[in-house]
Amino acid sequence: MNKPSAAPGGGTGATSRRSFVQRLGLMGILAGIGGFSYQAFRSLVPNVLYEAPKRFKIGTPSALAEGATFLEDRRLYVFKEGKSFYAISGACTHLGCTVKYTKLQQAKHVDIGGQKKDIAFEFHCPCHGSKFYADGTNYAGPAPRPLTWYKLDVSPDDGQLLVDMGTEVDQNFRLTV
Amino acid sequence: MNVTASLRSLYRKLTWTWNPQSDKEAGDAIVKNLLLHWFPNKITKGSLSWGYSFYLGTISFVLLVILVVTGVILMFLYVPSVERAYATVKDIEFTVSFGWVLRAMHRIAAHLMVATVFLHMVRVFLTGAYKNGSSVGAARPLNWIVGIVLLILTLLLSFTGYLLPWDQLAYWAITVGTNIASAAPLVGKSLRFFLLGGSEIDQNALIRFYVLHVVFLPGLLFLLFSYHMWRVRKDGGLAIVDHEALQQTTEQAAPVKAKTYSLLGITGQTSVHVRTAVVDEEKNSVPSAPNLARRVWLVTLLTFAVVLALSLVFRAPLESPANPSVTPNPAKAPWYFLWLQEIVTITTVSIGSFTVNGAFVGGVLLPGVLIILALWWPFRDRTGVNAVGVWFAPERRWQNRVFIAICLLIIIFTFVGTFMRGPYWTLFWPWESWPEMPVKF
Repeated sequence: MNKPSAAPGGGTGATSRRSFVQRLGLMGILAGIGGFSYQAFRSLVPNVLYEAPKRFKIGTPSALAEGATFLEDRRLYVFKEGKSFYAISGACTHLGCTVKYTKLQQAKHVDIGGQKKDIAFEFHCPCHGSKFYADGTNYAGPAPRPLTWYKLDVSPDDGQLLVDMGTEVDQNFRLTV
Repeated sequence: MNVTASLRSLYRKLTWTWNPQSDKEAGDAIVKNLLLHWFPNKITKGSLSWGYSFYLGTISFVLLVILVVTGVILMFLYVPSVERAYATVKDIEFTVSFGWVLRAMHRIAAHLMVATVFLHMVRVFLTGAYKNGSSVGAARPLNWIVGIVLLILTLLLSFTGYLLPWDQLAYWAITVGTNIASAAPLVGKSLRFFLLGGSEIDQNALIRFYVLHVVFLPGLLFLLFSYHMWRVRKDGGLAIVDHEALQQTTEQAAPVKAKTYSLLGITGQTSVHVRTAVVDEEKNSVPSAPNLARRVWLVTLLTFAVVLALSLVFRAPLESPANPSVTPNPAKAPWYFLWLQEIVTITTVSIGSFTVNGAFVGGVLLPGVLIILALWWPFRDRTGVNAVGVWFAPERRWQNRVFIAICLLIIIFTFVGTFMRGPYWTLFWPWESWPEMPVKF
């Protein structure tokens, strides 16, 4: 074996044993700090949320009052118009304040995206004055997009209305019972 | 021996290693003294002046001490759980002896600290005190950056404390605040989720804000604060010292007799190298103890008195318990964020079908730009050494004007947001009354 070995303390230009071990140690320490930081960070990202489920039942369709019903703890407006049902979120799309259902003194004739509609009520946000038409379309204030519509369904087991706040739907959605 | 004398000797035993008999000894003692080791041995008269610094940094520190003391007592009385937080704060306010004073002092000191730290920054900018002068090894721009971080930490401390009472005010201020955070591009949504420990403001959010408020942020603040103070010493003291150094006049020192040895013996002459000039530095400085110490104690007493007096007049409010389904009308962020709330309200812009949320412009982009500008400014400012440590240096006229304009805009927006925004965020004059608003759907 005639391999040129590094002199003690380095100096041959090639990596000496000492500096290799030093570098290895440094990398070990950095890896340790990195690993521990990741552990600390990851432990603070919850794996299980004990929040209310996104799908829930709200009673039979016939029990629901005609017009708008506000589900306080869900911040959700559920509408019943004869046999059709739909649900609009009450959370403002600007900064998440709860919008207020505001009945108009007299029906307003408005043009929403090319469609002429008569509306009897609107949603007004108390935080920064955003305003939405009856279908949730934003028309004034800082809100950047319409209120979210959520999916409604009829539960197959007991015929109750089933709200799914995990699934967004468009403004044409109607559940007909 | 009477009681005061024995207390005094006990205090001396605990804090001084010996009893100084002269200014020089007292100066030496400062290095060995626990409380005074921040102070230099001697301090220039300019650094002592009220009109240069307004002692705003000192006041901020005193407020911090008041906050820590009242805060620790409040920690014994407060329970950070969704079920009990509101009730314990109500107890502190109405049943605990002097609880209301402690809470009011904690709140007033917090509000004042936001204000004094901000004013301290304004002072440092307008006097060009973030600039290196003639002292060797100075890194004032670095200390300016530390100061900006301390300002942000102060705001975050105040903001995290806002949620703890778990009343309507707290809940909706945090709703608005964390939704602003979620407007940040890419990471916004996950940032809010991480901050709240979920998608709603609930128990996870409360305990996170509590731990941030009482452990994490104060710890970071103290660490950076001690570094901030240490740097002030290492950077040659207040910037006015550099200014004073430029003003120093030299005077001829009296010639000193010297002996010159020549071959012929000793010739009586004065040598060239002792014909020297002395700067009047010595005349312009005084020992820190008692001159600086006296003023710092005075500022401490006055600050404490003002906080106590304000707390007796302005009780800390407690609204109805947090209710996620009812948004108060209007819902406002803490006052020092109202300029941002004012801006997030008016900056939603639509270009065709593409809409930029005002929350992004006013809540992320603008503050981000302001912070980056502030961090970068000391390196951009290339004015000379004459502009260091003087109020409104002519050389820095334009940057001072722009800075004042930005500060005034922030103050005006804060005023409008605080006093002139009523229900649905519509404008009212401060003397106009707001219309009655139904609280429920």
